[in-house]
Amino acid sequence: MTAVLDRPNAPAPAPRKPKRSVGRFLRSSLSGRLTFPLVVLATWLLSIQLVTAIWPFTVDVLPTPWQVGEFMWGEIRGDTLAPYNLYETFGISLRRLAVGMAIAIALGTVIGVAMGLSKSVNAFFNDWVVAILAMPNLAWALFASLAFGFGNTGPILTVVLTGIPFVIINVREGVRNTPSDLFDMARAFDVPRRDVIRHVLIPSLMPFLFAASRYAFALGWKGLVVAEVFGGQDGAGWTIKFWYDAHRAHGVVGYALFFVIFALVFEKFMFDQLSKRLFKWRPEVNGPEVVEQAFDPAAQAAAAGSSTTSAALESINQTTLGPPTEREPREAETRSKNDG
Amino acid sequence: MTTELAPEPTATHTSTTGAEQARAAKMKERRQVWTWRIAGYAFFLGLWEFASGRLMDETLLPGPTTVFRTFGELWSTGEVPGAFATTLTRIGIGFTIAFVVGSLIGVLMQNRWLNGFFRDAVTVGVTTPGLIWALLTAIIFGNRPAGPLIAIVVTTFAIITVNVAEGIKSLPKDLIDMGKSFNVGVLRRNRHIVIPHLAPFIFTGVRFGFSIAWKVTVLTEVFAASKGIGFEMRTATQLFRLDEFLTWILAFYVLALFLEKVVLERIERRFFAWRGELKS
Amino acid sequence: MAEITVRNLHKEFGLGEDKVVALEDVNLEVSGHAFVSIVGASGCGKSTLLNILSGIETPTSGSVGITQDGKPADAGYVFQAARLLPWRSVMDNMLFVQKDRSDETRQRCQRYLEMVQLGDKGSKYPGELSGGMQQRVGIARAFSTEPDVLFMDEPFSHLDAITARTLRSELHSIWAETGKTVMFVTHDVGEAVELSDRILVFAKGGRLADDRKIELPFPRDVADQTVAIAKADVFRTFEEIGALAVS
Repeated sequence: MTAVLDRPNAPAPAPRKPKRSVGRFLRSSLSGRLTFPLVVLATWLLSIQLVTAIWPFTVDVLPTPWQVGEFMWGEIRGDTLAPYNLYETFGISLRRLAVGMAIAIALGTVIGVAMGLSKSVNAFFNDWVVAILAMPNLAWALFASLAFGFGNTGPILTVVLTGIPFVIINVREGVRNTPSDLFDMARAFDVPRRDVIRHVLIPSLMPFLFAASRYAFALGWKGLVVAEVFGGQDGAGWTIKFWYDAHRAHGVVGYALFFVIFALVFEKFMFDQLSKRLFKWRPEVNGPEVVEQAFDPAAQAAAAGSSTTSAALESINQTTLGPPTEREPREAETRSKNDG
Repeated sequence: MTTELAPEPTATHTSTTGAEQARAAKMKERRQVWTWRIAGYAFFLGLWEFASGRLMDETLLPGPTTVFRTFGELWSTGEVPGAFATTLTRIGIGFTIAFVVGSLIGVLMQNRWLNGFFRDAVTVGVTTPGLIWALLTAIIFGNRPAGPLIAIVVTTFAIITVNVAEGIKSLPKDLIDMGKSFNVGVLRRNRHIVIPHLAPFIFTGVRFGFSIAWKVTVLTEVFAASKGIGFEMRTATQLFRLDEFLTWILAFYVLALFLEKVVLERIERRFFAWRGELKS
Repeated sequence: MAEITVRNLHKEFGLGEDKVVALEDVNLEVSGHAFVSIVGASGCGKSTLLNILSGIETPTSGSVGITQDGKPADAGYVFQAARLLPWRSVMDNMLFVQKDRSDETRQRCQRYLEMVQLGDKGSKYPGELSGGMQQRVGIARAFSTEPDVLFMDEPFSHLDAITARTLRSELHSIWAETGKTVMFVTHDVGEAVELSDRILVFAKGGRLADDRKIELPFPRDVADQTVAIAKADVFRTFEEIGALAVS
């Protein structure tokens, strides 16, 4: 601090009073973040009072925070009134999601690559991909439940149908955006084809495949839940419907919270970690924002409701559902930081 | 630039020039693309028709012809316009409220403390499936109109907030300061700098928000309504009338596509024509 | 000894009215321990010539031959932008263009990295390096394959003056030490005069307009008067060509 330099013989400044840092904390965004759950809780309790006063008959229906808490704690301990407990339920759903995602990614990649390489194939499929993209998962879920009744087929099919358009679009975008300058470089050095595929083609497609998986997961999960509500006899969606049918609002709220936790853990945590490891070569930025740069505009446009906030943030750059805009997938290369 | 012909008579066929070749090549490509496109339609519609008749029971999967016929029948009974009107009204009200709430929160989130406050709400809003809100509001409010509206607002607001917040956060301070330094009044500054900058963000929010809103509306109607498209769909399902069910889905889906693509995209193109040059 | 032979090379792009002639009837021969610079304004076909020589593009007509003692030669290439694989480490980038991945090859790559003062950066990703460093990796990569011929397309044009100067002298040292044939494209006449023993001047429309030797002793100081005179000479050629420019 300059004050000390100006007066070399002055005594050292007095230590900062603790009051100042408390004030700073109170104004920081962290304190805002911590206040929110308190406000929610307060509002919750207040509205129960309010609603009960206006509509007395709702007393049984409105859950209190303690009821929900108790319910959730019971579920975590594996103690439940439902036919399956929390872990079995989510396990069943997760398995269906995994199968559906695998199919969506495998099939979607094949079609996406074909569409990226050939204008004719693209013309053949494109309108239908767009059509499937815009269809609400409710439609798939209801149809699947009607056509396939109970069991795994309906939910898995819903996952496939919800996710596959995103995979196709992202993979197609990846194929269209291959770095031709790197391919030219490899050609100039006579690098054998196998090495080019392994070291240039596949890594350049990775961001797009990753984005595709992320979307397939997020949207597939939402579709799966709806499918299980209408056409299941087990699984997360079915369980929440179970509590709904039983008129146990605390069960519905509790399970809703489990949903949120599940989604957050898997989507943000798992994919973020994967992203950091797969894309550690990316300069400066590491994390979900990185992969967003590879997202396809069409996928963005319909990814409304996609489950990561940062993906939604990227969506700002999107405009149409039509031909993709040009992007700069290799900003690191073209940027020249001039200091020898 | 035709090749120069020598004075004496030459062969009867004239060589095509480079430009003509280029044009012919383009036309051929366009024709090829359209052929494949039509082939795609023929293939998928044909597949559907085939699957309905042969692969699966006609009652489980009605073909396209059946569906169109049913649609005609339903339309003539007047059920369709009525249900459409109900649902569209709900979407309109729900989305408008969501837009106002979402924008407001987006503006508020420019403040650091409020940003922290609302952050988790936005995350939960973006993450939670609309189904949850539909079920919750159905349980609490039963068939009252408040339920679906609240569900729509809660599901939709987050995407609007995110877009508006990003738009405001990225306001070009340098341009605004430039305007201030030239003593340009607030109104003119808003008109020429702030609004054109914010417009694409707001528009994107509207687009995505609307896309979410209509889907959630139909979903809530399945659980907690006595009118509207979602309700009709549930009835058709319960009565196992798949042809009607598919008809309702398709009809509404076509309408929603129309609104999303045709209407919104038209507006977008008119207002944001200047961006076309920026997109390479 | 390496030999580069170009006969009646002609390259066009587009059809009809949009036709662009990139190279017009180019003939030249280069052999031995030569450093040949190709200079000219933008759009006069310099990069196209290099692309054809390196096999990235094919000529419309005419022939191109690059041989070493009668056999097809190995060529190395340094690009304007470094063109490193961003998802591989520096060392892996070096190895990518080698014929094998043996220990001996690794050591050779390490040696070339040290030659450009980047011996300790082998495990870093290109994204962690500055533009100048990335370019040096590109140069090391090209030299590490120990090709018979080296093609360089404006390798220093994106760098700041100080870095470029350092790299120029490094390039000169490597060339003098290894005795390769280098063909070097640049729009900077001063750079050409500083580095090369022969300068080819291209005019607009892809025509080889001038071919002159620079017989000044190495190393050359830009501040030296003889160098300045040589540079002025080349510029005069530009003006003459300008008067005869193809519109």
